[in-house]
Amino acid sequence: MGQSPQRTIVHVDMDAFFASVEILRHPELVGRPVVVGGSGNRGVVAAASYEARFYGVHSAMPSVRARRLCPDAVFLSGDHAHYREVSERVMAIFLTRTPLVEPLSLDEAFLDVSGTRRTFGEPVALATQLREQVLDETGLYCSIGIAQNKFLAKLATSEAKPRASRSGPVRGSGVFHLTPDAQERFLASLPISRIWGVGPATLARLQPLGIDRAGDLLRASPKVLAGAIGEGAAVRLIQLAQGLDDRTVTPDADPKSISQEETFARDLTDRDELHGHLVRQADSVAARLRAHGLRARTVHLKVRYGNFQTLSRSWTSPRPFDGGHEILGAADGLFSRIPIDDGVRLIGLGVSSFDAGDREEQLTLDSMLDGDGVDRELRDRANSAVDEIRQRFGTSIIGPASAPGLHRTQGDQQWGPNAP
Amino acid sequence: MLRGDSLTITGSDLDLTITTTIVVSGESDGEVVLQGKLTADIIRSLEAGAVTVEAEAHQAHISAGRSKFDVVVIPSEEYPNFTDVDGEQITIDARSFEEGLKQVVRAASHDETRITLTGVLIASEDSGIRMVSTDSYRLAVRDLPSAAAVLGEGDQVLVPSRALNELSRIIRNEEQITLVIGESDIMFETGSVTLRTKLIEEQYPAYRNLIALERSNRLIIDRLSLLDAVKRVRLMVSDSSGTATAVRLNLDADHVELVAENPERGRASESVDATYSGAQLTVAFNPDYLIDGLDATPGEVIFLDTVDEERPALMGPMDDDEFRYVLMPVRVS
Repeated sequence: MGQSPQRTIVHVDMDAFFASVEILRHPELVGRPVVVGGSGNRGVVAAASYEARFYGVHSAMPSVRARRLCPDAVFLSGDHAHYREVSERVMAIFLTRTPLVEPLSLDEAFLDVSGTRRTFGEPVALATQLREQVLDETGLYCSIGIAQNKFLAKLATSEAKPRASRSGPVRGSGVFHLTPDAQERFLASLPISRIWGVGPATLARLQPLGIDRAGDLLRASPKVLAGAIGEGAAVRLIQLAQGLDDRTVTPDADPKSISQEETFARDLTDRDELHGHLVRQADSVAARLRAHGLRARTVHLKVRYGNFQTLSRSWTSPRPFDGGHEILGAADGLFSRIPIDDGVRLIGLGVSSFDAGDREEQLTLDSMLDGDGVDRELRDRANSAVDEIRQRFGTSIIGPASAPGLHRTQGDQQWGPNAP
Repeated sequence: MLRGDSLTITGSDLDLTITTTIVVSGESDGEVVLQGKLTADIIRSLEAGAVTVEAEAHQAHISAGRSKFDVVVIPSEEYPNFTDVDGEQITIDARSFEEGLKQVVRAASHDETRITLTGVLIASEDSGIRMVSTDSYRLAVRDLPSAAAVLGEGDQVLVPSRALNELSRIIRNEEQITLVIGESDIMFETGSVTLRTKLIEEQYPAYRNLIALERSNRLIIDRLSLLDAVKRVRLMVSDSSGTATAVRLNLDADHVELVAENPERGRASESVDATYSGAQLTVAFNPDYLIDGLDATPGEVIFLDTVDEERPALMGPMDDDEFRYVLMPVRVS
């Protein structure tokens, strides 16, 4: 698909992510300044709650300085494995809207939702629902910026962010849409320090020329700019100041595993119902696998019971796969040997052992073994068609007929418990 | 279960049931259900010599020398009642049956998503018995033409390979083995042991055209020379998880060259003398599947017939047609 002139890019940034996750685990910390990061002499702040930010504490600041600014703050050393787990849940929610999700870090991602208007409605409605779903399912707030490209979407997010106060965050709009009409005015007054790539060195060269705002960049002589910061940088800055940025949203470079989990509002004991969830998970995991251009060889199944006891089973194929059909087949085999009488609270499906390319492929006798032949090529073509349709119309526009809740509409929750 | 001096031990997971009878010094008849793994572990740990087992309602006492174990028993009324399998009986030579099992069982699939392929087909064939297994990457066929009694024409059953794996461990210097084929179960009786298992009630795929396929290239080679060479070059392509990537065979007039390459480790090659007739060809195989085939094929000199680098190869001994191994190549680019 070519570059559409009318792109809609969404930038999502979790609010004080690490600190908020800690407060969720430690409700006694609600309302207190919380700082996550290295607590030693050379430690650095990884995240600060809005209560702490009010005192001037921010991430990347030496912990020693943070302690001086806010002696009452609770300092936590951080639990990266847990943050990663929460992050995966959040990213999985994003993936219900579009396969084009590019995580920038654990708490930040770009989504290209250009094609999903028909399914999820206007971008602001999509973002508002996405934000509510993240809050419902994880208890975490996020801020969302919407614009025509990555650069502007990220700027828009800052407009949606909460402000720090002594008593915690003063919630902002949560969602900010920088429309093409408002773009010019917005950029004209934007401090150049907020343009990507403008660091202290560039700033020091531009300010003597009287360039403080993005609008000043457009009024300045390109030659003078090029003389100050080099031609390449000058061209790039002028483009950004015009709001031009054609970088695409590309899914994460090379993950080690891809998985999807679902927690149910009540414990499930019906195999068919659970199978239905596996169908959808297999389809979704396969779609992400293909979006990365990968093929996997191992399928993991995870089942958590009502009493939180958790079982994990896996199976490795001699032959790499990227289709929902193969993943589901393996998952069903694993699932059939897991007892579920005690009630299943969570079910998850994942794949790993990636084969990047077509370097080697164990061929099979299938096409010659009568009755068990699988028309692989036909299936591959169907998968590609599904991928293309989803890029244009959104993830939930098409799916396996055997998956429940295929035709979900806005506001439905695909990956978590509904409110009782 | 103790009757006189005869002790019958039965273990089962409901799909697979194994029973053995041994001679003991019995004091009084009775039966008890013990926890299988625990009991086996206890017995195995005891010092050599006589062991005494006394059973009461809720406990059993296992003692030997100065060791004593009082173990909790399972109420015997909870133990399932296994009736004998009713059906056609076939008695065949145990030695060749065991040999056949070892040749074919390894080619059966472990993929539980393809239940059919986890079974070994036992079928009547030309007044003998044929065993077939495949995991869709290779296929092994063994004929037991000299079997004394045979299945009816067209009869076939699909037996879980797991059960046959157990069986091949159990058969020990027996002369004969009897198969009793029921509606949905099969029972194997040999010596003092019986093993019964549920049958896989699925249609086995038609496989004959895999063997019959016309192949214009033939390599004739000393089996053990090739086996040793494959094992050596495999070192270069096996990873820590025990799986290996492909080994290439360059087939040419009077020898075959094996090449195994891994960008992070290096390259191994070895040339083995052979007779080759056909077009010059490079074909790649998973070395583990190749080794399995070379292990299973009997005889000193074998053939490896190929069509091209993408269609199934066929391996077998030069001097008879009891065993055939079909092997699918790996596509390398």
